[in-house]
Amino acid sequence: MYWKYVIKRVINGIVIYIILIFIFSALFNMQMEQTVRAQIDEVVKGEVMAQSTSGKWTPEQLMNWSKERKVYYTELYNLNKPVFERIVTRAVDTILFRYGKSTIIKSAFGERDVVKIIFETVPRTLLLFGTAAIIDVILGILIGIKKAQKPGKGFDKGTSIATMIVFGMPSWWLGMLMIMFFVYIIKVFPSGGMHSTPPPAGFMYHLDTLWHLTLPVLTLVIIGFWGRAFLIRNIVLSVLQDDYIMSARARGIPERKVLFGHALRTAAPPIVTMALLSLLVSVSGGILFESIFSWPGMGNLYWISVEQSDIPVLMGDLSFSTGLYICGLVILDLIYGFLDPRIKVGGKA
Amino acid sequence: MKLKDLRGSISEFWNEFRKVKSGLVGLGIFAFFLLLLIFEPVLAPFSETNTRWRDISYWDDNPQSAYPIWVNFFSAKKYAKSSVLKDPQVSEEAFGTNRMMTYTFEYDYQYDIAPSDLILKIQGTGAAMMDLTFTRPDGETVYLTSSNLKMVEGGVSRISVDKGSKSEAYDFLGGFESRDNMRKFQRSSIKPAAILFAKAQENMLIDPEPLKGKYTIQAAILLQRPEDTISNVELVVPGRVFGLLGTDAFKRDLFSGVLAGIKWALLIGLLTAIVSVMVGVIYGVISAYLGGWKDSAMQRVFEVFNSIPLLPVLIVMSAVFKPSIWNLILIMCIFYWTGSVKTVRSMGLQIKEETFIEATRALGASNFRIIFKHIIPLIIPYSFASMALFIPGAIVYEASISLLGLGDATIVTWGQILRDAYTGGAVINGIWWWVIPPGLMIAIMGMSFAFIGFALDKILHPKLRTR
Repeated sequence: MYWKYVIKRVINGIVIYIILIFIFSALFNMQMEQTVRAQIDEVVKGEVMAQSTSGKWTPEQLMNWSKERKVYYTELYNLNKPVFERIVTRAVDTILFRYGKSTIIKSAFGERDVVKIIFETVPRTLLLFGTAAIIDVILGILIGIKKAQKPGKGFDKGTSIATMIVFGMPSWWLGMLMIMFFVYIIKVFPSGGMHSTPPPAGFMYHLDTLWHLTLPVLTLVIIGFWGRAFLIRNIVLSVLQDDYIMSARARGIPERKVLFGHALRTAAPPIVTMALLSLLVSVSGGILFESIFSWPGMGNLYWISVEQSDIPVLMGDLSFSTGLYICGLVILDLIYGFLDPRIKVGGKA
Repeated sequence: MKLKDLRGSISEFWNEFRKVKSGLVGLGIFAFFLLLLIFEPVLAPFSETNTRWRDISYWDDNPQSAYPIWVNFFSAKKYAKSSVLKDPQVSEEAFGTNRMMTYTFEYDYQYDIAPSDLILKIQGTGAAMMDLTFTRPDGETVYLTSSNLKMVEGGVSRISVDKGSKSEAYDFLGGFESRDNMRKFQRSSIKPAAILFAKAQENMLIDPEPLKGKYTIQAAILLQRPEDTISNVELVVPGRVFGLLGTDAFKRDLFSGVLAGIKWALLIGLLTAIVSVMVGVIYGVISAYLGGWKDSAMQRVFEVFNSIPLLPVLIVMSAVFKPSIWNLILIMCIFYWTGSVKTVRSMGLQIKEETFIEATRALGASNFRIIFKHIIPLIIPYSFASMALFIPGAIVYEASISLLGLGDATIVTWGQILRDAYTGGAVINGIWWWVIPPGLMIAIMGMSFAFIGFALDKILHPKLRTR
């Protein structure tokens, strides 16, 4: 039963991904083709230069040859086909992770393959936001339950106000302030990046990463956990108003057990979804955050590719982060269905 | 809905809302922003901020990276304030066809940290020779510069001591400073203004002590032809503190900039939130009401839009299409409306089954009429909360786009000020008054709407109310 649900949801996710990639290819078709044409011009120029230095050909032959090569590449990249077909081929290429070559940006090994450039950054992004999310959720659950226990009292009100204060605060702005304070005024943390230069070897390497990770994670947690605590408080509070909690309390079950055993188990599915969903939103919404800390992840790649106007990398990054986002949504639904068996049976609300 | 009913429901709603203190605080902050917005022309020290924010010449007379003026309250050493000396004593002497105009400024210096520059501004026509002399309270006189002025009608000649008198200031320094200290600095790297306002003694270059008192700055201008004229001679003293929020590295007054950002933030936030929530409500209701395969189809479309990571798409679209602020708002609306669809649809499914809808349908009302006249008015109040909570997000999105340098360059938004601060090295150089105010404004505006939104949420969803 659950497997049927899983398959259905996964297929649904894939279909949505394909549709979105088609939309993107149609939207950005012009831009992509311009860069491909520029790249072709560059390649042909290089080839002609190579031939002309050999000195065997007359200028006329060279001209003809350059034209031939241009036609050859135009055909190779399907630029002579009708627009619709070009869009479709581009979308299919994108879906199969054939993102093409970057114009400027190179990977750590000097490759200009967009896929390699992106794959290099993904684990770093996951490390940063994943660490922050884990700390966030733990803190959020602890504080959220505390808040729900005595709603409307001082602690609950105080933390709720803090939630609203950070509600509209850009995480990258707080990052700037944190850098200003912790890096340049009291010199505790490094200003950015993932490793010192040169990176130390062995075990120190990981400590070094941790040291670089601390400040961005601290910033993310300061911004994030209030909101999580507030959501968890609301969920737990609505559960606490159920009759069985009252009966549990009436039976004399200790409050701790009521909270963590009874209430939290019922509240788990929405808590997990909300936590994961806000993680997804914070990853996709906080992508600029990375560049403030020069954290070499996917978000920083957006920044760099915009600054260098490297369109293939930008598009590849967009497609890939869309894929990740949809993956996240699917996983979210699967976990939800796993935790709350009612969901997968009905299928419809 | 009749007007009387509407008034009744509004006053009822207000009575509820009044009880939530945080909501009132949010409303108060919002009202404060509105007041600032209305009185912007009165409050802004620079009236052309909106149109000439990126025009460097407009800001030329301001000091660079000056602290906010209130820093003096907290600092033991007082920073020189910026001022403009407008009424010099004028004396005229004639030597045949030549005229010697002498403009004498008196500057009363009572601070601890010297101003950053002295700028003489002259308007006039024709050519002239000018000597600038600087007399200190201790009787020392420094010849700052002698220059040839070529003036054109309508133009302003600027003589900056900081740029033009380094050599003279260095020579003046040579009479007092020790040779060891002199050797530490090059002629071109000294700050003339800091030397001119320091006590003439050893170490005046390294650790200057302020020489307080009355300074005289004399500009002697020699006009050779009778038709040449001089008018509006001014001495600008760009200080170390300026305005309520200081200046940035491009000499722009940050208070004017932050003030100019309010209207754009409000516009972006309100417009995006209202339009996208309305679209979401209408979409959700129509989907719920129509039901069947139309509902399924609309839900699929919704799912596709819901699976779009918003900021990446916004970034790429802005990078590719370079939109103006209106197009950016439009793009945000296109991708932003999905947030409220789910709840609205489930509410619509409930309302659809009510008897009064059935009755209306029996009376022969069209679907359009039922949806827009009977269902949506019932749901709208519930969407106010999500509208308020959408606003901060929209403002932050615009700021993020601007931080990337993709914002609309014809306007001034807080995100763009932050972009300039970030790329201008404010974080590294610790120019906190450039970074904190715009971001704080974003945060405060977000906070006010969060207060309002959560208060509305509390009223509309009584289950979460504290017992």
